[in-house]
Amino acid sequence: MSVGDLRVFADYQRDFREEADVVVVGSGPGGAVVARELTEAGKRVVLIEEGPPFTPQDFVVDGGLSMARTLREGGLRSTLGTVMPTMQAIALGGGSLVNSAICNRAPDFVLERWCGDFELARTSLADLDPHYDAVGKLVGISPTPENVQGRRNLLFRDGCDALGFESEPISRNVRGCRGSGECFTGCRARAKQSMDLTCVPDALRGGATVLTSARVEAVECDGRRATGVVGRAVAPFSGRPSHRFRVRGRAVVLAAGCMATPVLLQKSGNLANRSGQVGRNLQFHPGVGVMGVFPDPVDPQFGATQGYQSRQFLREGFKLETLWAPPALLAVRLPGSGLELKRRLADVPHAAVWDAIASCDRSLGRVEARRRSFDPRITWRLHPEDTPILAHAIYRLAEIFFAAGARSVLCGLHGFPDEIHSLAEAEPLRSRPLRPGDLVLGGNHAFCTTRMHGDPTLGVVDELGRCHDLENLWIADSGVFPRCPSVNPMWTIMALARRTAHALAGRL
Amino acid sequence: MPRVAAPVASVRSDRIRLCFAAMWGGMLFALLGLLAVWLPARLFAGYPAPAVPPRVLSRRELATLAAVGDVLFPAGGAVAPSGTQASIPAYVDRLVAAAQPRQRWLMRALFALVEHATLLFPAPGGPSGLRRFSRLAPDQREAVLAGWQHSGWFPRRLVFTSLRALCALGYFADPAVLRSLRLAPYRIDTPICEADLLYPPIGASRNGIAYGPEDLTPPSDGTPLALDGPWMPGFAEEPR
Repeated sequence: MSVGDLRVFADYQRDFREEADVVVVGSGPGGAVVARELTEAGKRVVLIEEGPPFTPQDFVVDGGLSMARTLREGGLRSTLGTVMPTMQAIALGGGSLVNSAICNRAPDFVLERWCGDFELARTSLADLDPHYDAVGKLVGISPTPENVQGRRNLLFRDGCDALGFESEPISRNVRGCRGSGECFTGCRARAKQSMDLTCVPDALRGGATVLTSARVEAVECDGRRATGVVGRAVAPFSGRPSHRFRVRGRAVVLAAGCMATPVLLQKSGNLANRSGQVGRNLQFHPGVGVMGVFPDPVDPQFGATQGYQSRQFLREGFKLETLWAPPALLAVRLPGSGLELKRRLADVPHAAVWDAIASCDRSLGRVEARRRSFDPRITWRLHPEDTPILAHAIYRLAEIFFAAGARSVLCGLHGFPDEIHSLAEAEPLRSRPLRPGDLVLGGNHAFCTTRMHGDPTLGVVDELGRCHDLENLWIADSGVFPRCPSVNPMWTIMALARRTAHALAGRL
Repeated sequence: MPRVAAPVASVRSDRIRLCFAAMWGGMLFALLGLLAVWLPARLFAGYPAPAVPPRVLSRRELATLAAVGDVLFPAGGAVAPSGTQASIPAYVDRLVAAAQPRQRWLMRALFALVEHATLLFPAPGGPSGLRRFSRLAPDQREAVLAGWQHSGWFPRRLVFTSLRALCALGYFADPAVLRSLRLAPYRIDTPICEADLLYPPIGASRNGIAYGPEDLTPPSDGTPLALDGPWMPGFAEEPR
């Protein structure tokens, strides 16, 4: 069916060169959309991805081994400073292969702040809506149907209803979900419309060349123009380098992700960094999870991975949502050991896990290249004034659990009872200050390391994604966000990437 | 100048100093000798050979994992298999083998730390509490892990959390554990979609693409999986 050319590691038998109109680095939600839109506009595109394509035969349902295969640093990447695991995928399709497909438009008030604080003129919701609509149609974004919610998602709705909190089914890029809850290990039902199933095949149909298992190691420049990229083929999983390649293009789009893109710029001679902002301003949506145990079976293995959410508290700094993951990953956060731990494991069929992601925009970090590695050194600190946001979120989750009928709640906090049986026991969350080390955090949404800003001295790219310093180098990943978006970022990444692609196509 | 003989007291004092130096030197030498015997013995001796050859882990790392696994998941209780019955050491061996060099080094450093940190944080029970972790009695092991778990010092808790995470991953990889909790993955008949005509399985060349246009099947129609539906092959003891 394809008229383009897809290459995998076994196809690389010697060093090679390619030419294109546009070189796109990274095949996640940013890069894949750019590649698709540019091929549709008739441009010759080479899309380069460091990870391999995964077929259903390559999926592993075991949580640990799946992470080791699909995530950078085997899923063990974490920040320094405030220690927090953070996951970035290494696969064709990027994070869309292993995320839970949540799609939210950035809230109006967030985009207004972006425009006001970062001198952006065309990034309001009205400006982005056409792009949101177009990519939403492309990847089938729609609310999760009730018949695949499963009880653990519907209990969240019931709890919110009982308290009068707003809640809604999560919109996802999914067609034909069967409720297997396996989003994190690869959708065996082929229902999730990840980039490897949607935009990459579209780009191939449009004539793109897709190089997988190919790591870009530097962007080449001539004066104020990028001329292409160089890199090496790398073996899947081991990362063992083999043949070298060079791809020349009239424009280069970096969409390697918020961690890898700044590292690539730093390793290319500190490129595009007259502002000094490359790798700085790192923000996350740090997340906390809370487990509730119900008197009756919840059968949590059935249901959409993340099917319901509440945006009731967005302006207070957090969003609440349901969550499921491979049981092994959920068990990681159960307290205790020995027979006590086993008793809690036996509660899992009666349990639901819900989480909160927080907008901690005072908590900043940076991404720096390591000398002999392409893995970044990530430093980030949870700001003391952001800690109460997370404590408040945990309290609200406990409140929803008890309103939904939970008999106990496990908050997962150091220095706090392992298990509480009433909301009154959660009251200390509202009065006692928490230290960052008391929280078990996870942060998979990362932003701002190549942020957009209208002022070239304060940002790396303009609001269309073009680098202020180089006229034909563009960036299209979550690094361009000027501040965290308060909601799951994938749809916004795709919308901004589409806008970037159209702006770039118009200039070629 | 006429040569002056050293006073008798000074000569004696020199001899005493020499004796002390020889004594300290001898003690130091003996200590180093003991250390040279004790250190390799502590690090390497007495670890049982595994039944199945491991991929990357040493027999002492497997012993540490078995000991930790059985403290975290003892036999009996609400979920029957113990850590070793659930093959935690073998699983972690696979996981470490799949990791990249830096992560592999970190995980192995973690195992070594837990095994030998009893010298810094001994188990209760007097001198026997200084033995390496895998040589401690079960109640001493529990006490040592509780020390890591409840420490007021965040890095110590992080060690426990990391270790328990690895063991929990292994425990939940065991089909018997998942079956007993009714958390085994469902059997899903994966549709063949257009993208499957583009990609070979990992490791194969493009010639290894498994499907052609004639293999395409209708996409998922969104029929929910049945709660009591069949489990994935490999997890089902027998068809339900």
